[in-house]
Amino acid sequence: MSDVAQVGVRGFRQLDDVVWELGADARADMRVPARVFADRELIGQIAADRSLEQLQNVATLPGITGAALAMPDIHQGYGFPVGGVAATELPDGIVSPGGVGYDINCGVRLLALPLTVGELGGRTEALVHDISLRVPVGAGRGGALKLKGLAFDRVLVQGPRILLGEHGIGTQEDVEHTESEGCLEGGDPATVSERARVRGADQLGTLGSGNHFLELQRVAKVLAPRAAEAFGLGEEQVTVLIHSGSRGFGHQVCSDYVRAMDAVQAGYHISLPDRELACAPLSSPEGQRYLAAMACAANFAWGNRAVLAHRVRESVARILGPRVAERTRQVYDVAHNVAKLETHAGRTLCVHRKGATRAFPAGSPEIPSAFRGVGQPVFIPGSMGTSSFVLVGLAEAMERSFGTTCHGAGRRMSRTGARKKITGAELRRQLEAQGIVVRCPSNRGLAEEAPFAYKDVERVVAVVEKAGLAGRVAQLMPLGVVKG
Amino acid sequence: MSYRWVEHTAELEMEIEAPTEEGVFVDALLALAELLGDDGRGASVLREIAIGGRERAALLVEWLDELVYIAETEDLVPEDAVRIELSDGGLAATVRCRRGSPRHLIKAATYHRLAFAPGGNGFRATVVLDV
Repeated sequence: MSDVAQVGVRGFRQLDDVVWELGADARADMRVPARVFADRELIGQIAADRSLEQLQNVATLPGITGAALAMPDIHQGYGFPVGGVAATELPDGIVSPGGVGYDINCGVRLLALPLTVGELGGRTEALVHDISLRVPVGAGRGGALKLKGLAFDRVLVQGPRILLGEHGIGTQEDVEHTESEGCLEGGDPATVSERARVRGADQLGTLGSGNHFLELQRVAKVLAPRAAEAFGLGEEQVTVLIHSGSRGFGHQVCSDYVRAMDAVQAGYHISLPDRELACAPLSSPEGQRYLAAMACAANFAWGNRAVLAHRVRESVARILGPRVAERTRQVYDVAHNVAKLETHAGRTLCVHRKGATRAFPAGSPEIPSAFRGVGQPVFIPGSMGTSSFVLVGLAEAMERSFGTTCHGAGRRMSRTGARKKITGAELRRQLEAQGIVVRCPSNRGLAEEAPFAYKDVERVVAVVEKAGLAGRVAQLMPLGVVKG
Repeated sequence: MSYRWVEHTAELEMEIEAPTEEGVFVDALLALAELLGDDGRGASVLREIAIGGRERAALLVEWLDELVYIAETEDLVPEDAVRIELSDGGLAATVRCRRGSPRHLIKAATYHRLAFAPGGNGFRATVVLDV
């Protein structure tokens, strides 16, 4: 074991090749250890910002059990680090809106087209362009599904299932191939503010800005043939990865409940090192109301990605024909920002995943029967122009990380820093020189998401594989990208 | 203008120094306008904003959230505060906006590292925006 003072975090010890830990005795207010999955290179990058301090803050939360965990793509966030996992124990453990984040159920959905890149031929640009016309990005709203009143509320309670039943959006298999079948139980529209409704009213089916994107890809390499076959993926197959969340609706839900909990936590004798960790006991009225509102936002996000997938199928139908669209399948849809009640080692826990992905193994009753023999699909987007990966949940994740793995490459450079290094126009030229079709109205937004602003996704994925959290199934390479 | 952006890996950290408390709120608006602004030349609109609350730091978060809200729901890019009045009961302001296509970049103003206190030549504030 070696002390890691050289990376600036005295006390963190290396437990094995990819696990680092700071004991609970490192700070008087820590209740559990802080544990990071990373190799030596990544821990150095991670220690360069406030991520590890934020992770230690998470370790102080009342009711936290095991350890405050960080995935290898961890980076500095607000309150919780992005890439953080915290499990709290019922009934008096807390739930923290900041532990889920503002973009509740930000997540990714992978669609698989029934054709290869060769069969796509010269229609790549036409397809990306058509998608960019149908999918509203940035401030755009045209193409969004506008619902009001009870029709809106039913999405909050039921998610994509009601969009299928009432609006013909998606398929039954899409619903089944979605984490929690796209519906967190207990969603109660009465717990959602009018402001959240106003923000979300015209945002179902909109991509948004920041790091949200839609990418046309090819399967460059199959790394685990049995799992790839179960997921319906083959080499050179064309896929579409959709990354978006609950938009303004979820942002408002989080804001409302951070404030509500900030106002009452003193009454629960909760003292926090960071005000953004505002929380309340799971069993409290505030905790219960937040869980009900968060479920609404999670279901809204799954509905949002369902409408986005519907728009992609419309483009596929227009450019490649209706038969291709009908045979375009949803591989799976996973959440990155959510708190879920789960059973681990016989205990009911509230697992906060903030920039982290559930990764349940083969045999889990929580995953679709089609994948039960191999494990849950997990999608790890890389940065623009680089690989993304399809992974599969492994058994060790249940023992080491409450069934969780990473969610992306993880930022390592600020947006300002990225803009200082490259202009959006130059990055656009570089991506196009690689043969990647780019549709992004904002040069500034493009520059802020430059590939060098992120960690090396291959290194991140290698860590979770070595830790036994998730295994590589396929490598995807970009053909085109649509961004806000 | 007396705001600056502090390096933050993923979010945006705004640091403001102003001679008066009201000035902090004006500079926060200008900082947000820099992020949300587009190149359009839409119609000028005046918007009244009233927020209750005594604590200045929490009020600053709510002020920024209000500006994000009208940008997102009414396509209004804030340009300037024509009037800002602070009292023990809260904030009342008249904001000049321009109709446009503001970026949906800011999710919310957060309580992370939130600060608002006397300092420098008046008051200093820090607020982290989730983007």
